[in-house]
Amino acid sequence: MSDVVILGAGIHPFGRFDTSYEEIGATAAAAALADAGVAWKDIQAAYLARMYLPATSGARILRRLGSTDIPIVDVEAACASGGVALRQAILAIRSGEADLVMVLGTEKMPRGFMDPRMIYAPWQIEMGMSLNPSYWSMRARRHMHEFGTTDLHIAKVAYKNHRNSVHNPNAMYRKEFSLEEIANSPLVCDPIRRLEICAPNDGAAAVIVASKERAAKLGGNPITIAACCHSIARFSADFRCPADSMSATANNPGPTEVTGHMAYERAGLGPDDIDCFEVQDTDAFCEVEIYEELGLCGLGEAGRLIDEGTTEIGGAKPVNMSGGLISKGEPVGASHLGQVVEIVSQLRGQSGKRQVEGAKVGLAHVLGAGGNCAVTILKR
Amino acid sequence: MANDTGGPRRAAIRDGLLTEPLDDLSKVRLQGSRCRQCGEVTLGRNSLCPNCGGSELEVVPLSDRGELWTYTVVRHKPPGDYRGPEPFRPFGLGLVELPDGLRVMSPIEGDVDSLTVGMPLTLKVAVHHTGPSGEDVVAFAFAPAR
Ligand SMILES: [Zn+2]
Repeated sequence: MSDVVILGAGIHPFGRFDTSYEEIGATAAAAALADAGVAWKDIQAAYLARMYLPATSGARILRRLGSTDIPIVDVEAACASGGVALRQAILAIRSGEADLVMVLGTEKMPRGFMDPRMIYAPWQIEMGMSLNPSYWSMRARRHMHEFGTTDLHIAKVAYKNHRNSVHNPNAMYRKEFSLEEIANSPLVCDPIRRLEICAPNDGAAAVIVASKERAAKLGGNPITIAACCHSIARFSADFRCPADSMSATANNPGPTEVTGHMAYERAGLGPDDIDCFEVQDTDAFCEVEIYEELGLCGLGEAGRLIDEGTTEIGGAKPVNMSGGLISKGEPVGASHLGQVVEIVSQLRGQSGKRQVEGAKVGLAHVLGAGGNCAVTILKR
Repeated sequence: MANDTGGPRRAAIRDGLLTEPLDDLSKVRLQGSRCRQCGEVTLGRNSLCPNCGGSELEVVPLSDRGELWTYTVVRHKPPGDYRGPEPFRPFGLGLVELPDGLRVMSPIEGDVDSLTVGMPLTLKVAVHHTGPSGEDVVAFAFAPAR
């Protein structure tokens, strides 16, 4: 899939703002156009990733950039929405329908826990099975039981991500916490604590993608999209779906493993070829599990990886240089494109104090409701 | 579920989740659907198998004994129309592995600080709350086995 490239990227900071979603989205879209050196009137199609916005939000946002009649399509796949929108743009280019496309992710989210009716059946809500972190926490507890992963391992991941975010002007919190502060923050759902989970918020991110041929005519230093894959959890492979029961006999690999493998194959690369990663740290344990599922280490070895500092900036496999969702917040539709913006910045060597020295290849991963998973691999 | 003896009407919190009748709750079990094609068992009465898509499903009562496969403690009142005790009390939530070949998501009764993976549990079926038409809504939990 080396036939589609990213010409430019733009972001509106992730946080909580009084401004409208239209303004937040248009800010990121305009920044991506400026970065690509492309005019809005030259864009032939646009995709908006969003989950909590009203109908035709894409058109409502992008009309602000000027009169247009191009197809603008809203895309939703829970936390993986951004990856799915990017994939739609790639497919449009590969089909020959277009060669210059905008992909925008925008979200403006309600405060606090998300409305459970978006995801859960009424009886699950009535019985108290509708608190998202409870599902992540049960995964953590089982991993601790099987592999000896500890509370400290989970806290160390949160510590790393909060510390990285201090150098990211687009993150919400940008505050370093001590390991003690994290390990003593209130339990939300045992064993996951307040400073180990992400909060829904507002934000936007955008990229301009083009065929290689079109990019060559436009000049500049495009980033190659080596893979962009999406899949949903196979039967009983992820109980964050959320499931009311799980098979004790089916043994399907989880969506991260499946989608990651697909992306590695498309890119002709393996985990050891990747210089930097941005992954779905909905909670700090989620990142722990992803280390194993993306092949950064073997099954049950994530604790050791954390203790050895492998995933810190400066380690062999840096993860969530941006600070991750734990510190940026998760504007669901925008989160994957936010990761892509970070990887583009890393591959261009523009990430300042959070720069991974000499990064040439980067991977972005999201996972959410419905077992929706997207993995994008970029290279320069 | 109208009940001809004149007592309060009862209904399962989810249609097809529990065996019937609901008169004597000590005799009520969870139900599952066993696929004749692939053998997978899923919770409740289902018309299609979410594994293979098969449509020949047999509704079977599930075991009332299981083991805690994993758990958490819900420390904050869940959002939306939660109908648990007022004021809110933290409660255990877990996946209970049944000998029938599935793990059921369930509230876990008892002391939240004494939960351990592998602990034996038994099913508790009880009236959970009053429904919109005044009916008793019946739900389930698992509790430490005695
Ligand atoms: Zn089947």
